[in-house]
Amino acid sequence: MKTTSAVALLMLLASPPCFAEQASSNKPPSAGVSVVTQSGTAAAQGQAQAQPEESRWRLGIGLGYGLRSNPLVQSDDIPIFVDIDIAWFGERLFFDNGDFGLTLVDNEFVTASVVGRANSDRVFFGKTDTRFVTVDLAGQPLSQAAELTIPDRDYAVELGLELLADGRWGQLQLTAFHDVSGTHDGYEIHFDYGYGWRNQRWYIEPSFGLSYKSEDLNNYYWGVRPDESSDALPGYQAGSGVNAHARLALRYQINRRWAFALVGEFENLNDEAAASPIVADRDVLGYFAGFGYRF
Amino acid sequence: MHLTVKPVLCITDKRTPSCDMTFLVFWQSEQSGYYCLFNDFDEAPLRCWTETQSGELSDKRTVQSDFSYWMTDDDIQSLLAVVRVEVLRMDTDDRRRRRRTRHVWDIL
Repeated sequence: MKTTSAVALLMLLASPPCFAEQASSNKPPSAGVSVVTQSGTAAAQGQAQAQPEESRWRLGIGLGYGLRSNPLVQSDDIPIFVDIDIAWFGERLFFDNGDFGLTLVDNEFVTASVVGRANSDRVFFGKTDTRFVTVDLAGQPLSQAAELTIPDRDYAVELGLELLADGRWGQLQLTAFHDVSGTHDGYEIHFDYGYGWRNQRWYIEPSFGLSYKSEDLNNYYWGVRPDESSDALPGYQAGSGVNAHARLALRYQINRRWAFALVGEFENLNDEAAASPIVADRDVLGYFAGFGYRF
Repeated sequence: MHLTVKPVLCITDKRTPSCDMTFLVFWQSEQSGYYCLFNDFDEAPLRCWTETQSGELSDKRTVQSDFSYWMTDDDIQSLLAVVRVEVLRMDTDDRRRRRRTRHVWDIL
């Protein structure tokens, strides 16, 4: 005890004045690990760095490798090497990776916005091939070789309402979009629910949902019009249907800027789309593994 | 002087708005001497060591923003080593930004 008191006194004397208060309770050095327990937050004590004001911009880039299968016949899968994230959020207006929005309501229960976007079904039609075939898509032999071209489809500009909510129970997204570009004149109602778990650097988020596609929308993308049909490609009229999707995202935060991400996704095309002669596989599968950087 | 702190990154979000963690601080010097460990929360040192070449301390703390640990000798102005602990906030006060899930293939 005497030794302890002597060392404490020496430290008190040797310490600068601002140390005095603490030094009186300091113990002499020991080989073991000492535990200091304090629960004051940096914000409460006002000494550590304050959080910077959030930028209206959100910029990021993901680099890695991934693939999304293409459900169309005579098509190539869609490779993914880069994912760019560009978003800007103003007071009410926002731009989020191709979506333009005007927020009408934003409270603790719901965020409601009018959103304009491009339809995502078009993406598959950019990776199709033209081939000469000797059998039709049903496997029946043709009298002579015929050129089989997957019909081209355009992007549709859609306008709709988006309802978002979140809480400890997860996050919910409900959207309804209608074509305003005269491309397919149809509409889509989309529902998605996700729940994320975090354990420090690790974050995992499964999500799933349904998308109702109206007859006009479904038929525009997955139907085959009479003027597009041939000996090799029979005409087809698609009705409305419901797509189902599920997704699992896993992320490891390396540091403030970098993260490693693994994503797997599954989408099941609706019956009407799956029955189309231009569809080879109703399941769309995809994955991506790579590194993300936040600016 | 070599100062190591583990972990140096702590992540918060809406469900866990602060980090309740135990930081393990380890220091080592080539020379024995009088050394003190500080952090941003107190003007007084967390602990001082005399005639020692290394030390270790476990610091249980609840934090919401970045802060630093640093070592000095008997002159507190002499910054011998510093390690910054980053508190990374993964959520946002902007509800739209937080609630909007991006397109299905966005991965960031």
